[in-house]
Amino acid sequence: MPVLLLLPLVLIPLLAAGICLALGPRAGTSRVTIAALTLTLVVAVMVAAQVVNLGDQQAGGGWLHADGLSALLVCIIAGIALPCAAYGVDYMRHVKTLDHADARWLPGRYEALTLGLVACMMLSAIADNLGLLWIAVEGSTLTSALLVGYYRRPEAVEAGWKYLILCSVGISLALFATVLVFYSGAAVFGEQGSTLRWTTLRDVASQLDPRFVKLAFLFALIGYGTKAGLAPMHSWLPDAYSQAPAPAAALLSTALLATSLAALLRFHAIAVAGVGPEWSGALLTGFGVLSIVVAAPLMLVQDEYKRLLAYSSLEHTGLVALAVGLGTPLALFAGLLHLLVQSLVKALAFLVGGSLQRASGSRRMGHFSGLIEADPRLATLLVFAGLGLVGLPPMGTFASEWMTLAGGFASRRAGATIVALVALTLVFTAITHRFSRIILGKARERFADPLPARTRVPLVALAGAAIVLGVWLPTPVRALIEHAMLSIRR
Amino acid sequence: MNLHLPQWLPQSNTVNLLAGMFLLSALYAASQRRVTACIAGYRWNSIALGLIALTVALITGTGHIAVAALLVIGVKAIIIPALLAKHASRMKGRPAEPLISIPAGMLICGALVVVAFSQTRALFGTGQNILGSCLPVSVATTLVGLYLMVSRPQALLQVVGLVMVENAIFLAAVSLTYGMPLVVEVGVLLDLLVGVALLGLFVGRIEETQGDSGTPRLRSSKG
Repeated sequence: MPVLLLLPLVLIPLLAAGICLALGPRAGTSRVTIAALTLTLVVAVMVAAQVVNLGDQQAGGGWLHADGLSALLVCIIAGIALPCAAYGVDYMRHVKTLDHADARWLPGRYEALTLGLVACMMLSAIADNLGLLWIAVEGSTLTSALLVGYYRRPEAVEAGWKYLILCSVGISLALFATVLVFYSGAAVFGEQGSTLRWTTLRDVASQLDPRFVKLAFLFALIGYGTKAGLAPMHSWLPDAYSQAPAPAAALLSTALLATSLAALLRFHAIAVAGVGPEWSGALLTGFGVLSIVVAAPLMLVQDEYKRLLAYSSLEHTGLVALAVGLGTPLALFAGLLHLLVQSLVKALAFLVGGSLQRASGSRRMGHFSGLIEADPRLATLLVFAGLGLVGLPPMGTFASEWMTLAGGFASRRAGATIVALVALTLVFTAITHRFSRIILGKARERFADPLPARTRVPLVALAGAAIVLGVWLPTPVRALIEHAMLSIRR
Repeated sequence: MNLHLPQWLPQSNTVNLLAGMFLLSALYAASQRRVTACIAGYRWNSIALGLIALTVALITGTGHIAVAALLVIGVKAIIIPALLAKHASRMKGRPAEPLISIPAGMLICGALVVVAFSQTRALFGTGQNILGSCLPVSVATTLVGLYLMVSRPQALLQVVGLVMVENAIFLAAVSLTYGMPLVVEVGVLLDLLVGVALLGLFVGRIEETQGDSGTPRLRSSKG
């Protein structure tokens, strides 16, 4: 019964968003959100189980199609959205009473925007049509722009503007890529019969005109690459992530990044089937390494916690692009595993940052110190977040980064891997330096976390999941990632 | 639905005329100092786009392109310009100077058009069908729209540049493939409409927080 599973992934959050808007300032929006996202997570896991056990699922008269990559994505989206929303319940309530008198939005709007964003991301994950995929990704830009500009202070408005205008330009180039693929299909299917279904296009890719396949991938790389934040199209990224509320930033830098990257990977899959893995793989590797190299030195000089995480996000996107671009089975497996574990780790880091900001009333890292004395539990979570960001054991990122580098040295692009490795040591220095100053040192006097203890539950859950994936890869997760590999390279 | 163009109307000339109108209106928008004039340029650009789509529908006799053409005229030539004009009317004071002077800008746009025509011909060949002239026009308009975005400090003109780029890509879709499936085109138009409304909201907020004629003083990225 695939219809019963795929459509609810989009409809549940959409319906809940409508309810939240209707409820408005009345209580109950947070309960609706949590219930809807829990249900979505259950459905997402069921979809993943079906894909792994029974193969690809289709629904909606050829508009929806869930393959391995879709299954991995829906699990990431639902798995991150739930803890972020659970954390956001108390965090956002606190906003209204504390420092942002200018957050004049009605209660319920925040929840509705988050749920709308989740619905758009789910649709883009399971769309079997490059046009529908484009519409969903653009929809996610529109909903998330309002989250970036959520606080109406000038910096946030600027960040929201920059995000919306740059991503809109990028995404219109991705639309051109979609048109080009559609056009190249017309030579195979005839003038009126061409198709935008990527499953079909991938199957006939060897008959498509290679010039247009290459051109389409280039435009998709620039278009969806802007949205994913690959260097050098990343200039909106530090502003957007540092101005969005912490739970929204966590969702943006993990789930939204993964869906944008996956949209690019759909074009990559067509290019791999059409002109071989070398051409588009080399471009992905190049942009991936460039992203890591650009991010590393900027992380050394950051003073603001969320901007540091934004550049860390750039680095992790680069790592995934590098791993997928290398294209060897080991690297591809590592890249998709990294997509999963870096989401857990980065969401954890952003949410811990939210608590830090609330507790000290500052965004600057210079104002946090002696956390181990002031709040040992939060400090422990921050240590795990830091270990995860630099890719040390016992976190899951250790395994995925290790396998990426191993896959890189085994491939023909050892040079790119060495450059990435050098940049990664810089990243290591930056994060250890900053985080050790936050954790150690003399405790500040005015440090009190005003958020209730239950906000720590999602943090512990995220840290726990990242640690478990670091020491033990359960068979279903392994099978899921192996299925996702098949959607890129058969 | 079976529609046909009247016999007395030469097909390729009609399309060429409209394509010329499409490109000229984009150049007009890029050469104007006043925001309202730029919006007028965009409106004519959209009307030309809608008429091209309608002509294609008449020539090929396909109903779904006709529907898309009417939607284009409704959304892009009426609703979006009205939204933009509403924001433009709220702006006071003298229009901000372009970052590059208008005559120099015109020379740059001319060069962009030449590059677009020569490169597109090299890649796609010269006109395999009646819409042969549309593709280079669409590439040229994309470049002119992007130039408009980077050369003007006003937030609203960046929006005009953006919607013009969207128009050009729509034209590319029509000229390369006789339009995409109707569901996709409707979705794209809906996204565009919501996007422009949101951008207008942000323009309003920029004015609110910075308090002058809608010129965002964006801090340069601090790295």
